Amino acid sequence: MPLSITRRRGLALLGAASLPAWAADTATPAAAGASAAAPAPEGAAPQPGRPPAPPRITLPPLALRMRRLGNGLQVVSLPTRGGATVSVQVWYRVGGKDDPAGRAGFAHLFEHLMFKRTRHMAPEMFDRLTEDVGGQNNAFTAEDMTAYQSEVPSNHLERLLWAEAERLGGLQVDQASFESERKVVIEELRQRVLADPYGRLFNALPGNAFERHPYRRPVIGSEADLNAATLADVQRFHTTYYRPDNAVLIVVGDFDPAQLDGWVDRYFGPLATPSQPIPRVATTEPARAQDARVTVQAPNVPLPAVALVWKGPPVGHPDAAALAVAAALLSAGESSRLNEALVYDAQIAQAAGFAAELYADAGMLAAYAIGASGQPLRKLEGALLAQINLLVRGKVGYGEIDKVRTQLLTGALLQRQTPQGLADAIGRAVLLYGDARDVDQRINRLQAVRAADVQRVLDQYLLRTRRVTIDYVQGAAA
Amino acid sequence: MGRAGTGGADLAARVGLAAALAAVAAAVAAAVAAAVAAPVAAKPTVQRPLQRLVWTMAMRLLLRLLLLLLLLLPAALLGTLLPAAHAGAPGVDEPPVASAPRPLTLPVLQERTLANGLAVVVAPRPGLPVVSATLLVRAGAETDPPDKPGLAAMTTNLWPKGALRNGRPVPATDLARQAEALGSGLDASSGWGASTLSMTVSSPRLDEALALMADVLRRPVLAEAELERARAQTLDGLRVTLGNPSEVAGLALRRSFWGDSAYGRVTTPASVQRLRRADLRAFQAQWVRPDRVALLLVGDITPEHGQALAQRLLGDWRAPTTPTPQLNPAAPAPAAAALLLIDMPGSGQSGVAVAAPYLGDSTADRRARYIGALASAVLGGGYSARVNQEVRIKRGLSYGASAGAESQASGGMFSARAQTNHPTAAEVLQLLRSEITRLADAPPAADELAARQATLVGAFARRLETTAGLSAQLVAQIAHGRPLAELADYAPGVLAVTPAQVQAFARQHWAAGGLRAVVAGDLAAAGSSLTSLAAPAQRLPLGQLDLEQAGMRKTAKP
Repeated sequence: MPLSITRRRGLALLGAASLPAWAADTATPAAAGASAAAPAPEGAAPQPGRPPAPPRITLPPLALRMRRLGNGLQVVSLPTRGGATVSVQVWYRVGGKDDPAGRAGFAHLFEHLMFKRTRHMAPEMFDRLTEDVGGQNNAFTAEDMTAYQSEVPSNHLERLLWAEAERLGGLQVDQASFESERKVVIEELRQRVLADPYGRLFNALPGNAFERHPYRRPVIGSEADLNAATLADVQRFHTTYYRPDNAVLIVVGDFDPAQLDGWVDRYFGPLATPSQPIPRVATTEPARAQDARVTVQAPNVPLPAVALVWKGPPVGHPDAAALAVAAALLSAGESSRLNEALVYDAQIAQAAGFAAELYADAGMLAAYAIGASGQPLRKLEGALLAQINLLVRGKVGYGEIDKVRTQLLTGALLQRQTPQGLADAIGRAVLLYGDARDVDQRINRLQAVRAADVQRVLDQYLLRTRRVTIDYVQGAAA
Repeated sequence: MGRAGTGGADLAARVGLAAALAAVAAAVAAAVAAAVAAPVAAKPTVQRPLQRLVWTMAMRLLLRLLLLLLLLLPAALLGTLLPAAHAGAPGVDEPPVASAPRPLTLPVLQERTLANGLAVVVAPRPGLPVVSATLLVRAGAETDPPDKPGLAAMTTNLWPKGALRNGRPVPATDLARQAEALGSGLDASSGWGASTLSMTVSSPRLDEALALMADVLRRPVLAEAELERARAQTLDGLRVTLGNPSEVAGLALRRSFWGDSAYGRVTTPASVQRLRRADLRAFQAQWVRPDRVALLLVGDITPEHGQALAQRLLGDWRAPTTPTPQLNPAAPAPAAAALLLIDMPGSGQSGVAVAAPYLGDSTADRRARYIGALASAVLGGGYSARVNQEVRIKRGLSYGASAGAESQASGGMFSARAQTNHPTAAEVLQLLRSEITRLADAPPAADELAARQATLVGAFARRLETTAGLSAQLVAQIAHGRPLAELADYAPGVLAVTPAQVQAFARQHWAAGGLRAVVAGDLAAAGSSLTSLAAPAQRLPLGQLDLEQAGMRKTAKP
């Protein structure tokens, strides 16, 4: 079909799911010209008898400009050459984990409402300022953050800055907009969780991975909690979290730096920062005491599936890079271990994968397999564990690690192709790693991971740790 | 697309990280596939509209005057006047004025043809050291024999599953490792009008990547064992696809609108079972020949390098002397029933889809195609377009309603669709239908049309930003048999369309009698609203649906 379902105003259900996903894993980029194909000597020497490796590209550090206004607003900008578009993004340090009690899904519902009325803008004015002039806008809500991402012809930059400041400072949602948009969000929940044959499985992962931290509530929330929300909640949430010192403004693309600074001062400078502190989730996630087994049922399960979930470290942990490389070894591409072993060789799975979903306060590691017709789930579970064991205890060739490095580097390059991609990488770097420059550093960390690092972290976080096994089968839904 | 099962891949994409890496490579393929299947519209731009520049300047003047006026008024009066008078102060209570637009530059394309008839297109984009390479065969699903839908897709699927390299067979796993060591998967896919093989790699890896691609395209093994493996996976994929109400509605709508035309054929579990290795080899022999192939190289590469590579890796490929088979696809032959209801008990939502006639590729007049593109865009070209406006923004009935058009050799189909809660399926169906037919009586206002024009041109410009996006754009041109030079005409052509032309288009093509619709969902949960609709409806349980039958209903096995 020529159509695709609109992703607008989506939410990152599983971290990177609805985004240029390698952003989460691969970070990185170059200003206007990651250039030069310089042969970069890589740790290991080529093996005898092998042709020399082709030259490896290097990505020069981005020429980031960083400021902080008096009201606490962080501003990161990056002028690029050659285009006529500019990306304007505002990232807020509030996400699904900050949903008020009894309001699962609220941060995401709120994100939708940010496109409604403000002091000086009618509902949907953002579409007038972006789409109607040839640009685009979208937003997503994840566990730790909410991001608003617009891209416009660069002569419209000032208008977007005005509008972002306007909805940060003067959101005025009315009852009718609120109710209508809540219906949209509930349809979004139905589409993602209920209509998708595997929606209920993936929605069940966080609740089984986490025992105490609010990460255990899926970002999409629940219909009952969404229906319980009120307009007063909206106003309270805006006042609490949507303030200059809780936001990061990112501008990438075709702009004049001095002009940008002047506009930012003019539109964002006057916004006041409340004196009360921003509430933060302080819950710590305990280690899991014992293994558990769970069955999730749904009315339409074409092929049963199994998922194994473990707790992982927070995203800022030194082991995060090794886990990202482990995930790539296990499931990036046709030649990844899980695909090759379960889908191709044994033909017991229709799909198999592994994800390291690491958030600000804690992480989730998940391996899954959707069975090929007639395959028992215990066999799938056994095969997943066997592959993990093999990776930990067996040999990992230099070529395999090198392949993953190249995949990660190529992904980083592709993300640098657009202002939106660059701005997205910067946003993640600031919100998850605390420093925009981490866009550059992260790719270096990933490139430095060795096989022994991968084996150590998988042994520690998977093999020596309790897990929950989730069977996903046909049956009456809970 | 949804011709062959893709459920597994979709699923993998849900699990962020790791799958995302696979997606690096898949991105090009997906973009290419989307472009092949896609509409009419896609074409390039040159410059930001002149008319916008003029408008901008006029507005700026006007707003300066207003600002001056406002400064003269006492502040208190200003405060009371503003909301009512709507005479705003730019940058204060209304957006500041846009500055002068920057011209956009079209990519430079160098086209050459090798002696064996293979077309080579190089689009140099200096800057980032990355190149998207695509080998395109001008043959897609429209070449499938009537009883073998899915043949082109299956053949394409098997390309990277074993090939001769340096005279020796290299198995699928080794090919995958070789490709991914270069940074990209071997992405093979088949759409309407074209099948493609592509990789996106850092530029130092290009030569190796293209050598691999050339072997895979020219010398695939198409092994029996690989066919069986792919058959089992496709069947499982179809089970996942057929569990999703929106996918089911989309597939059934295609059949309902096109009937037994090549463009109405849909891959089914039964048709997958009928594919034989000999069929795949026949497709390969008939269609995969240098005079049906184009090589597209987009990114950090010079035309000289690109041409030399093409000559070295593909220049010795000999074209057979036999002509390619003539295709005479049939025009759309819509089903008798205007509405098909497919019962999927327990499904999480209902998929609603409506089709209407559209222009075919044979439409010679380019201006007519731009008018069609605008008519389609007024209804479905963007978030603010009419169907999403009515279904989502005004009524909150869906996460998103979309619409678009496809042109094929023998005709075209416009379609609109949405997913909604079962009890509101009838309301959404009526809204989609009425938005299509209403355009004949309610042409777009000038600002509405201008917004859709900007959306089309802006989306086009963004596609040119990435190597994969530009590649997809080129693939679409070639798949539709259009000259690449036409891309330069896209933006001016789109901007020249008037509201009256859009209205005339709608009057000509979008009368109620030409619509076909499908609702797939839990019909019991939908209640009586659907059955009370005026149109005579055909009703089928999913288990009785057979998309290969004219009547769509399974028949007893002979």
